[in-house]
Amino acid sequence: MSFEVPQFSPALPEMFVLAMACLVLVLDLFLNDRTRVVTYLLSQATLVGAAVLSLGQYGAGTAVTFSGMFVADDVGHVLKAFIYLTVFLAFLYSRDYLRVRELLRGEFFVLGLFAVLGMMVMISARNLLLVYLGLELLSLSLYALVAFNRDSSQASEAAMKYFVTGALASGMLLYGMSMLYGATGSLDLARVAESTAAGEGGLVFQFGLVFLVVGIGFKFGAVPFHMWVPDVYEGAPTPVTLFVGSAPKVAAFAMVIRLLAEGLGGLQPHWEGLLVVLVILSLAVGNVIAIAQTNLKRMLAYSTISHMGFLLLGVLSGTAMGYSAAMFYAVTYALTAAGGFGMIILLSRNGFEADRLEDFRGLGARSPWFAFIMLVLMFSMAGVPPTVGFYAKLAVLQAAVGADLVWLAVVAVVFSVIGAFYYLRVVRLMYFEPAQDAAPLEAGGDLRLVISANGLALLALGIFPGALFAVCNSAFGL
Amino acid sequence: MEQAIFYFFSAVLIFAAGMVITARNPVHAVLFLVLAFFTSAALWLLLEAEFLAIVLVLVYVGAVMVLFLFVVMMLDINLAPLREGFARYLPVGVLVLALVVLEMVLVVGPRLFGAEAVTVPARQAAEYSNTETLGELLYTVYVYPFEVASVILLVAIVAAIALTLRRRPGTLKQEVGRQVAANRGERVRLVRMAAERSKR
Amino acid sequence: MIPLSNYLVVGAVLFGLSMAGIVLNRKNIIVLLMCVELMLLAVNTNFIAFSRYLGDTAGQVFVFFILTVAAAEAAIGLAILVVLFRNRRTINVEDLDELKG
Repeated sequence: MSFEVPQFSPALPEMFVLAMACLVLVLDLFLNDRTRVVTYLLSQATLVGAAVLSLGQYGAGTAVTFSGMFVADDVGHVLKAFIYLTVFLAFLYSRDYLRVRELLRGEFFVLGLFAVLGMMVMISARNLLLVYLGLELLSLSLYALVAFNRDSSQASEAAMKYFVTGALASGMLLYGMSMLYGATGSLDLARVAESTAAGEGGLVFQFGLVFLVVGIGFKFGAVPFHMWVPDVYEGAPTPVTLFVGSAPKVAAFAMVIRLLAEGLGGLQPHWEGLLVVLVILSLAVGNVIAIAQTNLKRMLAYSTISHMGFLLLGVLSGTAMGYSAAMFYAVTYALTAAGGFGMIILLSRNGFEADRLEDFRGLGARSPWFAFIMLVLMFSMAGVPPTVGFYAKLAVLQAAVGADLVWLAVVAVVFSVIGAFYYLRVVRLMYFEPAQDAAPLEAGGDLRLVISANGLALLALGIFPGALFAVCNSAFGL
Repeated sequence: MEQAIFYFFSAVLIFAAGMVITARNPVHAVLFLVLAFFTSAALWLLLEAEFLAIVLVLVYVGAVMVLFLFVVMMLDINLAPLREGFARYLPVGVLVLALVVLEMVLVVGPRLFGAEAVTVPARQAAEYSNTETLGELLYTVYVYPFEVASVILLVAIVAAIALTLRRRPGTLKQEVGRQVAANRGERVRLVRMAAERSKR
Repeated sequence: MIPLSNYLVVGAVLFGLSMAGIVLNRKNIIVLLMCVELMLLAVNTNFIAFSRYLGDTAGQVFVFFILTVAAAEAAIGLAILVVLFRNRRTINVEDLDELKG
């Protein structure tokens, strides 16, 4: 059997993250609570190093290696860079929170880094096998992170629900993959793409596609497969909610692009119909039920569901313009979500979680600056100009209109207007209600500084969205 | 003959799977799941996937199912409340089963995958080694997923330990090293005392 | 000779049984986990059957990886179950009501 040794250089970021994660894992054994900062600094250094390696490959064209299973392209580099950035923010926001509650253990960072590796594998997958393995690496790390606070019965309940739905989703996804394999005789997404483009397989493809879309729906948390989202968001410790709610959305977008757009592009008319159902239900259920929530983490969970509806709206049009808009939406949403959960961490202190809407009452008087940052975050989620959320929604709607889906775009606009109500309610609570809680903020300087930068970045990207748009467009060859 | 073997094992497999989902006692359910895995292994042998059939028995039945049994017995579950609502959901369950199976069989049934549509391949030659073929593929073409799978196992180890290992402060532990290193001088102290004298 | 459709039908029936099991045993997490194992068994049978009838070993390699991941998944799932049981003394889904679901 002849075999050529694969080229390793395109996978350099993956190898670096893996090596560093193992190093952190071993080194942490020798550290105590006082010196644990080394674990934290090394994890952050890993993310920075990986960003340098990934961005160093940007613009170098598409490289395929490991027998056609691994692809390094510009879409991948950009998505990976945003994943490093959001996870960097997540680690930074979490450190004080965990330390105060005596949860600062090395496993948090190690599992986080392995989750990053799983997302990288998903992004670079060019084979059904790698999509599955990357997804499982990510999911298994996330299940463990959600249950990380083992003395909290709420967290372990959330982890159990997350685990059961996640395992069910994997089963669905795998059944769909087995049908694709049966129809094409190959696990290679490039081969699958050739078969679908040639119109082979017919019924078997469509049958497998249904299972694939159901699996994707579960992983995205799109309605009607969203049951786990609010419980996991509410039950998990806030730093883990921040982690689950931000970077994995970018990876989920990558999975949809690799599976549906690149692998099953020839079946676009079939999956478009399936996604339309998910989009409409997600927008409706997410935005309407969020209004009734009193817990901010739960409200943001329903808000995530509606945002996932918007993201899939960009994908379903099946045009390069739509994919590019969805990519813009995914990366900016990850940053916004990181900021939103970061604000909950900022307001919390030991024994006080600040995760109820009530807890934001009168923030405008207590801390005008952070009330302003929260205002920017809420405006961005609602899609109010000049924040970046407005341009993300606009781009997705333009793509939908461009694909002759005007009615769907109108539905999306109606529901985002309804959605604006509950974001603005937070703003009203902050500025027009008296404070109940006069305690000063306890957050550390680094958290204050970076969360301010996070909020201002959303504003800056909203005022100058051109550069990021250009990056997204060029990634899809526009 | 081959037909008879196939139908026998399929029937046992489906019976076992049915018992898994309806058994009253979780321990029985686990045992039926073991039976289901064994019979599947036999079916996989018919499909000439010898290596995977053996792995299924050794790794899956031998390790994973034993872990299940261990947890079921350790948790000492009160069974009665878990059965509530079973009868209530039974019609829905049967309906789901019937619909799902009907639709799936329509697609994967004889029309598209019957003997006319897909020719039955010839048996492999006697010297063919399934293990060797898979081994060659795993360490060459599939080396990248192989490495990713090893990371997944590492994550499972880290997660399982992080979630369940508890060090209780104040528990008495045996330290073999110190026991071995102990010498007579640390343990035995000779005390010279004045001998007690009986009073006269 | 056994046609491919026979194996696929066995896989489909197993998959259907595991779905029905999930609907029926919504209360009992440990049986839910077993249903997920059954579902993976159905998928594996599918992959192996396709692999044999298409004369392509990739399907068997996929099953090898599914078995690996399923073992890891079972370990983490049972670890979470143990943590949950320590905190709540129950695995009845109905008692899991701190979160609204």
